[in-house]
Amino acid sequence: MKLLKPANLRSRLTLWYVSVLALLLIVYATIVFAFQYAALTRQMLHDEIQDVVTVEGLLYFDSNGQLQLRQDYFSRPQSHLLLDRYMEVRDPSGNILYRSSTLQGMSLDGPIRNGEGDRSFNERVVRLENGNHAFIISHIHGMDGHVLLIRLGYSLVPLRDRMLQFLLLLVIAIPLALVLAAMAGQAIARRALRPIHTLTEHATHISASNLHDRLDVRNPDDELGRMALAFNHLLGRLDAAFQQLRRFTADAAHELRAPLASIRTVGEVAVGQGTEAGLRKAIEDILEETSRLNETVDSLFLLSRVEAAEAPGQFEIFPLRPLVEEVTSLLSVMMEDAEVKVTYAFETDQPVQADRNLLRLALVNVMHNAWKFSPHRSTIQVRSVVLADMVQLSIQDEGPGIPKEEQEHVFNRFYTRSNPPNGRQKGTGLGLSIAKLVVERCGGRIAFDSSLTSGTCCVIQLPPLRQDRVVQ
Amino acid sequence: MPSQPRILIIEDDRKMSEALGSGLEGAGYHIETASSGEEGFYIVHTLRPDLLLLDLTLPHRNGLEILRQLRQDRIDLRVLILTSHNTVEDRVEGLNTGADDYLGKPFSFPELLARIDALLRRMLPASEPGPLRIGDLTLDLRTQAVERNGLPLELTQREFDLLLYLVQNRGRIVSREMLAHDVWRETSRFTPINNVIDVQIARLRRKIDDPFPVKLLQTVRGLGFCLREP
Repeated sequence: MKLLKPANLRSRLTLWYVSVLALLLIVYATIVFAFQYAALTRQMLHDEIQDVVTVEGLLYFDSNGQLQLRQDYFSRPQSHLLLDRYMEVRDPSGNILYRSSTLQGMSLDGPIRNGEGDRSFNERVVRLENGNHAFIISHIHGMDGHVLLIRLGYSLVPLRDRMLQFLLLLVIAIPLALVLAAMAGQAIARRALRPIHTLTEHATHISASNLHDRLDVRNPDDELGRMALAFNHLLGRLDAAFQQLRRFTADAAHELRAPLASIRTVGEVAVGQGTEAGLRKAIEDILEETSRLNETVDSLFLLSRVEAAEAPGQFEIFPLRPLVEEVTSLLSVMMEDAEVKVTYAFETDQPVQADRNLLRLALVNVMHNAWKFSPHRSTIQVRSVVLADMVQLSIQDEGPGIPKEEQEHVFNRFYTRSNPPNGRQKGTGLGLSIAKLVVERCGGRIAFDSSLTSGTCCVIQLPPLRQDRVVQ
Repeated sequence: MPSQPRILIIEDDRKMSEALGSGLEGAGYHIETASSGEEGFYIVHTLRPDLLLLDLTLPHRNGLEILRQLRQDRIDLRVLILTSHNTVEDRVEGLNTGADDYLGKPFSFPELLARIDALLRRMLPASEPGPLRIGDLTLDLRTQAVERNGLPLELTQREFDLLLYLVQNRGRIVSREMLAHDVWRETSRFTPINNVIDVQIARLRRKIDDPFPVKLLQTVRGLGFCLREP
């Protein structure tokens, strides 16, 4: 079957085309052949009936009582298909009264059948003793007080020869037509596929280094134009992703370089001074910087892990409230220390569907962020509602708020806001990006409410339960 | 078991190996080092160490292959894997291959010491229950009552757990990673937990140390915390 599965599209198209054409031609030829055969046979029957009528008028008994046929009958030219005419006349008891010379003494069909030639012509195909077939009819004719059974027919040999010729012609002509069609098909397919070939050539030359290149779109409305457009969109997204990746790598390297620089400086200065106390302090500083570096690397790993997770598999259904309380209880000492009160308003107990561990991480980061910017003796309000099918969780602090121009950057990686109050430690700048990535992986959205004039409100929206996922 | 447990370090990073060696010798262990699997194999068979610190990325033979071979040879040896391949899958694979414990690089040295102690202690009977004591501070495990110098101290559950962990590791430095993992039971390390730990330690210190002249809970900068009598 390998032969029937050509590798390239052009040959496949041609093969299909030729196969369909062959099927059509064969069906067509069969119908024509059958129709032709039926028409010729009907014509023959018609001629034979006329012949019988003619013959009836030409038969006579001679003086010896022998049945004779007037000879001038043969002068009439016939269709070249009706060459060998056979005729036999019998009396009712089956005795042969006349037999044409063309029969050369052979009998035309056997004994008389019951009611033969009485009502109909009994047209039929019979086999002669020499093996040839003949198409004959029978007719009963009364003459001079005698009852005669006339059997008249024509040899089928010329007709069958002619049909065989016709068949032969078809057998030769159809493959020839198919070969021509295949050649034409190849040419058409090549022409039709040429733009794809061009596209392929072009696409081959696009690599990571020239992703900004685009394919030419000649006609944006035809199939190929749409394909090129789709391809260009794909390139656009890839280009953006690559640029983001490049920027991210650069940012990450920069972010790692900063603590490395301070480690180096601290170490070099300490070794230069060489005092016991100085060395000890330097090592302590270095260890602290190392631990910060470590946090950054861990966060980067976490980001790449969440990013790489495809269809999130370990989704579970759980109520939001216990999770929120778990997170605030984890951070409660910090809240108490800063005398920040957390109030809850759970207006819905609709469960959500997410990766619980990751969502917990996201909430810890968001709550931690709220804590970081909360002034002493303030309140953080946590509120959950159902809004347009989404479960919405908002966390609002009474901090200084985020300036409009910073709002779109706060989720960016390595973005750290201008110094938090109370000298609280600067983070890795990855907490909120992790939160955003996690929430988006869970099919939700996260943003800061920009309509507030004071404080900051982080809004997390999680999608409703999906029926197909509920089945466990 | 001899009085000084023997530890073999198979690690191809020379600086790491030296630092580990001198740190562990300081902690009272006898140290052998090897920089490749073959060398390590030879030492395992000739010197029969009690514990193996195994790096996974080694020249020629991967650490896991070495571990598999050791387990096939049915050698009685505790194995602690040290590696920077630190995903959950890596851990599971390491533990399934026959490691007793798994520590991701970069780790804190106090944590390594604690894990090694735990692995070697596993062979000894557990210490008898009863009030734990350090200086004039006592903890009753059954009633969760804490007293210092005869004065009862009111601790929250988290503070008690934290103090208990510090008492169990008395005299030893406890890193933030260890606390996050063993007291807070956090599986992943991320920024906010360090803040939580610092605040919690400060509160504990206010309760157990501030009213008394002798300070037991000390911060070791860059490393962590330590509960000991000065």
